[in-house]
Amino acid sequence: MQTEKLKRKTNLRPLVAVVLLALLLLNSCQSQSNGGGGDGARQLTLAVNSGVEGDALKQAARDYEAQTGVRVQIAEFPYSNLFEKELVDLNARTGAYDLIMLDDPWFPRFATQDVLTDLAPLYQRRNLKGPDNDFLAASIALCRHPYETGTLYALPYVGNSQLFFYRKDLFEKHALRPLESWDDVLAAARIIQEREGAGSPDGGRVYGYVMRAAQGNAVVADFMPIFWAFGAEMFDASGRPSVNSPEAVRALKFMLELGKYAPRGYASFNADEVSAHLLQGTAAMSINWPAWISAFSDPARSKVTGRMEFTTLPGAGGQAGRAEIGNWLIAIPRDSKNVEAAFDFLLWATSAEQLKRSALRGNPPTRRSVFLDAELLAKFPSYPAQLRSLETSKPRPRTPLWNEIENTFGIFLSKANSGELTPEEAMNQANDEILKILERSK
Amino acid sequence: MRRQRATGRWATVDRSLFARLIKYALLAVALLAALAPVYWMLTISLKTEVEQFAVPPRWFSFAPVLTHYRDAFVARSFGQYLLTSAFVAVVSTVCAMLPGTLAAYALARFRLPRKLDTRLALWILSTRMFPPIVTAVPLFLLMRDVRLLNTRAALVIVYTAFNLPFVVWMMRGFFQEIPRDLEEAALVDGDSRLGALRRVILPLVAPGLAATAVFCLIISWNEFLFALVLTQTDAAMTLPVGIAGRVTQYEIKWGVMSAAGVVAMLPILVFALAVQRYLVRGLSLGAVKG
Amino acid sequence: MGKGLKAKKWTAVFPPVYPFTRLPISPLPYLLVAPTVAVLVALSVYPLIYSVRVSLQTGTGARAVWTLSNFTRLASDRFFQDALAHTLVYAAVALTFEFLLGLSLALLLNERMRGRGLFRAALLVPMMLPPVVVGVVWRLMLNPNFGAINGTLKSFGFDTETLTWTASPTLALASVIAVDIWQWTPFVFLVLLAGLQAIPQEPYEAALIDGSSAWQTFLHVTLPLLRPAILIALLLRTMDLLRVFDQIFILTEGGPGFATETISLYIYRAAFRFSDFGYAAAMSFVLLLLTNIISLFYIRLLNRQENA
Repeated sequence: MQTEKLKRKTNLRPLVAVVLLALLLLNSCQSQSNGGGGDGARQLTLAVNSGVEGDALKQAARDYEAQTGVRVQIAEFPYSNLFEKELVDLNARTGAYDLIMLDDPWFPRFATQDVLTDLAPLYQRRNLKGPDNDFLAASIALCRHPYETGTLYALPYVGNSQLFFYRKDLFEKHALRPLESWDDVLAAARIIQEREGAGSPDGGRVYGYVMRAAQGNAVVADFMPIFWAFGAEMFDASGRPSVNSPEAVRALKFMLELGKYAPRGYASFNADEVSAHLLQGTAAMSINWPAWISAFSDPARSKVTGRMEFTTLPGAGGQAGRAEIGNWLIAIPRDSKNVEAAFDFLLWATSAEQLKRSALRGNPPTRRSVFLDAELLAKFPSYPAQLRSLETSKPRPRTPLWNEIENTFGIFLSKANSGELTPEEAMNQANDEILKILERSK
Repeated sequence: MRRQRATGRWATVDRSLFARLIKYALLAVALLAALAPVYWMLTISLKTEVEQFAVPPRWFSFAPVLTHYRDAFVARSFGQYLLTSAFVAVVSTVCAMLPGTLAAYALARFRLPRKLDTRLALWILSTRMFPPIVTAVPLFLLMRDVRLLNTRAALVIVYTAFNLPFVVWMMRGFFQEIPRDLEEAALVDGDSRLGALRRVILPLVAPGLAATAVFCLIISWNEFLFALVLTQTDAAMTLPVGIAGRVTQYEIKWGVMSAAGVVAMLPILVFALAVQRYLVRGLSLGAVKG
Repeated sequence: MGKGLKAKKWTAVFPPVYPFTRLPISPLPYLLVAPTVAVLVALSVYPLIYSVRVSLQTGTGARAVWTLSNFTRLASDRFFQDALAHTLVYAAVALTFEFLLGLSLALLLNERMRGRGLFRAALLVPMMLPPVVVGVVWRLMLNPNFGAINGTLKSFGFDTETLTWTASPTLALASVIAVDIWQWTPFVFLVLLAGLQAIPQEPYEAALIDGSSAWQTFLHVTLPLLRPAILIALLLRTMDLLRVFDQIFILTEGGPGFATETISLYIYRAAFRFSDFGYAAAMSFVLLLLTNIISLFYIRLLNRQENA
């Protein structure tokens, strides 16, 4: 009776229709996102970073499909999401992924949770001893747990490490000495800003130095080379935090000294602001990553085309500087159901031939032979500097708690740079908080 | 009497003129403060990069270009984010309106034993009072477990729950304003309860229904935190998450960001004008019938 | 004076429900309410219960361990305490300014004047903007090097060297608070204006006869009669201020250092950057408790008004 009446008049019917339609649409969205299921054929699933690194691997996967007939499915996630995504899936032991890309600071977290496949038995089964010597030692060391000496759980795919960017035209113009130490950097920054900066006779607006001092990853990455050059370490021999050591405080004081020649507000700078200053020609020196090099030869993006030089990092006290290394690794989750096929793909993707292709797609390689490839050298003149930087690079501390520690350290570094805390206060407080993180995890 | 009050205590002519001048000056300042920043974003979206960074800033004299809009919506995925935003907003609004209106009717018209009706209404309101981050953490974990992360369905479900209390409270107010005599007359005529609701009441609250739906659209369209937490892939991202993504990545494209901001803002302004009469009521969850 | 009077519109805040005794008890109202209750139980109540469980565990899945450590950690976490302090300062300062400015605007506009409709419509703009767009707008305005504010100040000859706004530890919190005031003063204004217009004429006429001054009339007539509107505006603003996330996420992401980190941001970071869901859940209960206490306080004030 009631339902009959409901049908008779129209008021609710369009609404119902819309809801049904919506549910239908929703349904279709879902089934799309689930993708096609396994058809029994050989098939691999990769989790990659959505960015230049992941794009290269994605294209390689297409080539692999064409060559071998193995289907390769790609699950793509933005950097901010990838770590969480992978950690959760690996811990849930779903075996959803056969290969995962990971940023090297995440590696200790995965390795200590014992969710990755030990690669040594896989090598043995193929009558191979292990990764060949063409891989850079600094890169392979990142793939072992414990660092350098332990079990091999991954292979390096993209070989980033920091470089020092400086304006060679300004250095020539003012006859500045080549940069060997951080003291040279400070002196050059002072001279450039006096002669080219605001209030200079030329009426220019060039700042001597620019850096990222926004809290989090940014300020830590830009500080570590100074920190290490001054002889400081995050942890002492017994594993306790030592960021308030006299060397560490001196390093931070030096950073603030450099900050006097940086654009105002640099305490909130991230990569975009730093690069904007460099590209606009309003800053003369900076630490930056190889991904930015190509922008400086593009007149549409850069006002200083051909005038930027890329070199290894300065040191201190006669010691050479050490860059922070930041590699992308590829690993096989322990619960992958296609470990052998995954390893075949991994060996193929990290071969010299494939790394060269990846290099042409914009990613620095992790093999010496690729760095020395004539075609690539002609295309990327900064490769010798990049290779030197990688070979002398230093990794971030190999701790599974690095994300938290870096975040905390970054907050205090940023506070010191913005003037909220003195260097001593900042480092003492940072030390206390890092200690807390370590103790909490016990 | 009335006239005296209108000019208040400042009876003399020059004093009232002076007061009025000050008043208009103050209002002009308020107006400028409210609109200038939005106008500035509009100009940035239309300027070339060189003009964006010009010192002193160019408020009026610049050569407008549409490249950022093309860049955002053709070359980049903002067109897709826009569609996702629209889809999620419309579907979640429909999903919330249907059960919400029925519940509102029941809570407006029936007295349940032990004040259950009032208690239910207050309980429904209280779910809306949770700070979103409080439910975002468990909802993320639950959505992850049922494999709905990075789908539009996740957002539709969450926004439906988010809008439901709002619909109940808005519509309950509108139903309560309808005189009961009309409905009772229909009942006497032999209509069923639902028949009376459909034939007599719903047409009378139609403006209220429309206003409530528009508010749901606005709320879903503007929502950021859940969208950020639950969707990170291009296919499922809404416009606000897309805009925020431009900020936190390596490089900030100010023009693209502003262009997307302008496009995100326009439908909302149109909607807001459409429901201006109910604005206070909507923004106060039906508490103030301005 | 004016005490016996009650603005009728305000009784609608928690309106009385009609007795409807003529019908026999039927399952209909329950059926009508059921879908809504079901959805809310599934998506608001159940997640909260689930969250309790999460907050009492560390680790995930099979490795989860039951513990109270997520709650004991709150007491020694200075970041949490700082974030809590920032949130309270943010809420208190923004609320005060939004109230005072909103009330002034409402009083200014509470009589017929030319262009009032237009003015009202224009003031709506900030409040309707998506919060993310508000963040974008103000990043453009406040950028120390090429932002419109410093650029304009500079062209008037001001020295803007130290005005780094969101990059300065001393100005950053004030800057994000100012943005909130910009966006939400119109809301307070609208609610209070609606309240003012609901006040009847009679008490004003009585005050005029008594010979009260304008200030006395405001204090003894306008304010008491406006009280419910004020309380509602403050209640809704307070709830929103305590949960603030979107604009700050875009403007400063909590920086520089930790200067603008609010509790919602800190919880977000713990959960979605460090995968520390247990601790995030524990912190979120503190936020929930705080919100509940403050809203109960307001609701009690509102009810007292109604029963007076």
